Amino acid sequence: MNEELGIILETTSKILNKHVNHKLRQNIDNNNSDLINLWSEIEQLGLPKIAVKDKFNGSSLPLSTTLPIIKLSNNIGAPIPLSETILSNYILSESDINPPSGIITYAIDVKNLKIIGNEISGELISVPYLNLTDKIVFITEIEKTKTVILIKNSGEDKELKKNFLSEPRYNLKLNKCKILDIKPINLRINFKHLGAIVRSAQMIGSMEKILDLCIDYCSQRKQFGRALSKFQAIQHQISEMAIELSASSAALSTITNSDDLYKNKKDIAILKIRAGAAAGKVIAISHQVHGAIGFTQEYELAYFTRNLNSWRNDFGNESYWEDLLGKDFLENNNQNLWEYLT
Amino acid sequence: MSKFNFPSIKETNDLSNLRKEVRNFITKSLNHKDFEPSADAWVFSASPEFSKKLGSMGWLGMSFPKKYGGNERTALERYVVTEELLASGAPVAAHWIADRQSGSQILRYGNEEQKKSIIPKITAGECFFAIGMSEPDSGSDLASVKTKATKIENGWKLEGRKIWSTGAHIANYMIVLVRTSPASENNRHEGLSQFLVDLSLPNVSVKGIPDMTGQRHFNETLFDNVILSEDALLGVEGKGWSQVVGELALERSGPERFLSHFTLFESFINEFKNILIKSGSKLIGKLIAELQTLRRMSFSIASMLQNGESPETQAAFVKELGNKFEKTMVETLREFSNIIPLYEWPSQLQNLFEDATLRIPSNSLRGGTTEIMKGIIARQLGLR
Repeated sequence: MNEELGIILETTSKILNKHVNHKLRQNIDNNNSDLINLWSEIEQLGLPKIAVKDKFNGSSLPLSTTLPIIKLSNNIGAPIPLSETILSNYILSESDINPPSGIITYAIDVKNLKIIGNEISGELISVPYLNLTDKIVFITEIEKTKTVILIKNSGEDKELKKNFLSEPRYNLKLNKCKILDIKPINLRINFKHLGAIVRSAQMIGSMEKILDLCIDYCSQRKQFGRALSKFQAIQHQISEMAIELSASSAALSTITNSDDLYKNKKDIAILKIRAGAAAGKVIAISHQVHGAIGFTQEYELAYFTRNLNSWRNDFGNESYWEDLLGKDFLENNNQNLWEYLT
Repeated sequence: MSKFNFPSIKETNDLSNLRKEVRNFITKSLNHKDFEPSADAWVFSASPEFSKKLGSMGWLGMSFPKKYGGNERTALERYVVTEELLASGAPVAAHWIADRQSGSQILRYGNEEQKKSIIPKITAGECFFAIGMSEPDSGSDLASVKTKATKIENGWKLEGRKIWSTGAHIANYMIVLVRTSPASENNRHEGLSQFLVDLSLPNVSVKGIPDMTGQRHFNETLFDNVILSEDALLGVEGKGWSQVVGELALERSGPERFLSHFTLFESFINEFKNILIKSGSKLIGKLIAELQTLRRMSFSIASMLQNGESPETQAAFVKELGNKFEKTMVETLREFSNIIPLYEWPSQLQNLFEDATLRIPSNSLRGGTTEIMKGIIARQLGLR
């Protein structure tokens, strides 16, 4: 498995490094042939269906194994919905729906959904990359059963949501939209848990890149006659970033190495808390040490920090998971803290 | 960043069983009133009797070779035992330094005679050590030490003073970092050596320095032309710096860097659980997340040590993050006194809280300051 993963990582890295540059990130649309070419190579490698079951022509790898690939993709800063497609396909496949080919995305949240017959109306909130695909997966409760729904968006009322993102994201109003497939969801874990894991891996990949950008920039940029990196005040700021990043990576490695993701709900909460908190510090420090150049579109730092701002709020921010984790412990009356931790 | 990875290590069933064994032992000791849980127990709370008991259980010098009285268990097993002891606030200060770092230094650099005579006593909990690094004029700038050893016929003459030597008043030995030759112009790290000094030798005097809480653990240790035998030199003459750096990985990476005040945290939660459920779950969850992450990182380092790696930089990460966690924890509890005023806390909890509040500033000084930790990390990042 490790060897197989190593080969996939190496190939993915080659493809991404060949295609991704900062110009590509500034035109994320399906009229951008460079982006389409990149995606078709990713698809040839089989990444979109890497966690999909054999019977649906997937590679059947556990979702935890895909995290290093997702992390890599966001370390290089590929402006493609790889994590969205991998996760959507995984959920469909686990719920026994054959995932369609091509890009597919999900709605992070839903509102006021109504199903009549084979049609659905309501609102889908925060749908990433809807400009590149018309296929959307989302999860809702129907008569107390968690249900996964796959639709094809046919030019409905979509609104580009103005938020922190460098990546496109939309809200969508459905008006009697045709349902392509609908099944009870077959997961022992919430969609929110899965999203939290994936977003954390993306944040960590991006923070690694940001740390490298800071080190490079501060080593080259001279002020007062010496490189910024020679100032102790700057060194300590960057060390602080490295400390935050190392703690987040440690939390991620617990998840990546787990035999059964579903038994690790506590560790998922810890991961999202840790990565989200680190992202806050990394955003602040990286911009501080870069000065004004980091505040431009032309330089790539902001692409990464804007994504961090968005991902740390997706699928529950730190407070959400802290509260959940705190309650999980406090409401379990039989254990003292040490027993709970060990 | 790949060089700062903390691979995830799973706790095996054997380790969990060992954990239970230690926990049962602690419960029994508490029932017999063998000790009173205290804050910062690995620095402040020394009990030679308790250390001896741990020795008889096979929980000191756990990873040392059997031929020197050790138990040949893994660094991960030692990790589990130390965690349990710290979490219960047990009086482990007497043996702490010998078990954590001095024993390993002797096994690595000592001669056969030293190993045979000292290591079995460490594992039995009958031989204690103090650290001989800082001096009145050398704190963070450790390479500037002035204590010196001069070669004499059949041995060495030791002259100088060490300070902040925690526990030297009950310790049998100190591993002392000294100059054996002047620093070269471009490398201050040359010419340093480590000596294994018997504190009962003539011309060694240990003078207590009360700390700001009024307690005695600090000392100033004076070496007034102490005559040392030839074999008091530990390791290689002039290689003291690289030896001491290895020792610091053992010193900085352990769970004492984030469990020093765990007894306070746990007692606080037990006392106020019902109120915390209503209004404090977020704060408790945040602290749990940080503590659990630190445990994983420190456990991961134990595994690196077991594999013979030298995780000095990783140790700096754990130390810095651990110190910060403890400060945040105490601060979080302080803010809670807005809901239940401090004077309404049970007196034992008040004491733990006040002790912790006073002692917290020393966390990020002892074993290397925050500034030194960040400097080490910056160097590894290529910034220095």
